[in-house]
Amino acid sequence: MGVINLRGADDPEPEPVNDPASSIYTDWESVYQDNVVGIYQLVFRRVGNAADAEDLAEDVLIRTLKTLRLPAPVHNVRSYLVKTAKTVLADHWRSHYAAQNVELELEQLPPSGLGNAASTVASERAQRLLGLLPDQFRQVLELRFLRGYSVREVAHEMGVTESNARVLQFRALRKAAQFEREVLA
Amino acid sequence: MTSSAADRVARFVDDLLRGRRPRRFHATPEETEAMGAAAGLAAGRTGADLPDKAALDRIHRRLSERLDESPRVDARFTRRVWLRTLGTAAAAAVVGVGLDEALTRGGAIGPAAEGQAVLTPDGAQWRPVAAVEQLPEGHALQVSTGSVDAVVFNEGGQIGAVSGVCTHLGCKLQPDEADKRLSCPCHQTAFSWSGKVLYYRLKAAPPDLPRIQSRVRDGQIELLVV
Repeated sequence: MGVINLRGADDPEPEPVNDPASSIYTDWESVYQDNVVGIYQLVFRRVGNAADAEDLAEDVLIRTLKTLRLPAPVHNVRSYLVKTAKTVLADHWRSHYAAQNVELELEQLPPSGLGNAASTVASERAQRLLGLLPDQFRQVLELRFLRGYSVREVAHEMGVTESNARVLQFRALRKAAQFEREVLA
Repeated sequence: MTSSAADRVARFVDDLLRGRRPRRFHATPEETEAMGAAAGLAAGRTGADLPDKAALDRIHRRLSERLDESPRVDARFTRRVWLRTLGTAAAAAVVGVGLDEALTRGGAIGPAAEGQAVLTPDGAQWRPVAAVEQLPEGHALQVSTGSVDAVVFNEGGQIGAVSGVCTHLGCKLQPDEADKRLSCPCHQTAFSWSGKVLYYRLKAAPPDLPRIQSRVRDGQIELLVV
């Protein structure tokens, strides 16, 4: 029997298509249509919930569209959207949680507009981050964020008190933040 | 000190995981550091950072109002945005056609939506895969008969089944009960429980998931498989 090639057809990895780098936006509808999902996701990754992400994405679009004069080159508009998102997010963390010296590194918007707007950035980053953590820290965060366990369920699973589970979660998150700064930046 | 910080961060995480807007509070730098990491992890759950159509509608409507534009184009544009983002299948709303009738007579669930394949293997037999009480309303289960990986689901009291393998490159789909989705861990593709493509980031939409015929007999959910 011959060798069976287990490799199938070439993996059609997602590729950017229709990169609009040299195009022009002439109206706000086009800006909205191409970027609303990308902005929403970019913001969601820094607030972690849909209600705030919706409000902040709207704010980013409004501020950008009220400031920029259209028509404008697509890449200018998209850079400005990201810059505005940075300001809007820093304001949010300051006003909601009294956060000082907010430093946000934001990725660029996906290049091809909405057709490919959603990306695996958040899930890949989360996976890489979890993989860097010591076992106990990784376990508590996997149970909470990937498997949706409550603190009580985590405590039961890990054989610790609920209070200890909360402390463990806090320390694990701080460690994750540290790795995010130092390793994944 | 540490304990109360841990409590406050735990409340913040609870809010994120339950899909609530977190409460405002005066956080220490250590707490905001942990909360930032929590936001990133919450976004890392497959499909969590995708806006739903209602959110896009609201954003568009408010932009329209605030930019002093006519709102008459809302439906056209938001529909186009949503379709381009989530795939044309999401709007087809053909899910569930015929399910009532099939279930009430205890026979196979179907028919499948238009264009959706139905898995009918040669020599197929009805095989029990789970007890009905294991699958309350709003839940989905991954099951395997050895030859077929499937997801059985209970949506609105109606039980159905689809292939549990992504039609793109064969990764095993993960049921997401909160959003009633089947998410592919490999390339961020998502299907509805009934197998329609909801979302993809590929150049072309993958096919819908094949339906698998199912029925309930003597308290057991059975699939027509090999």
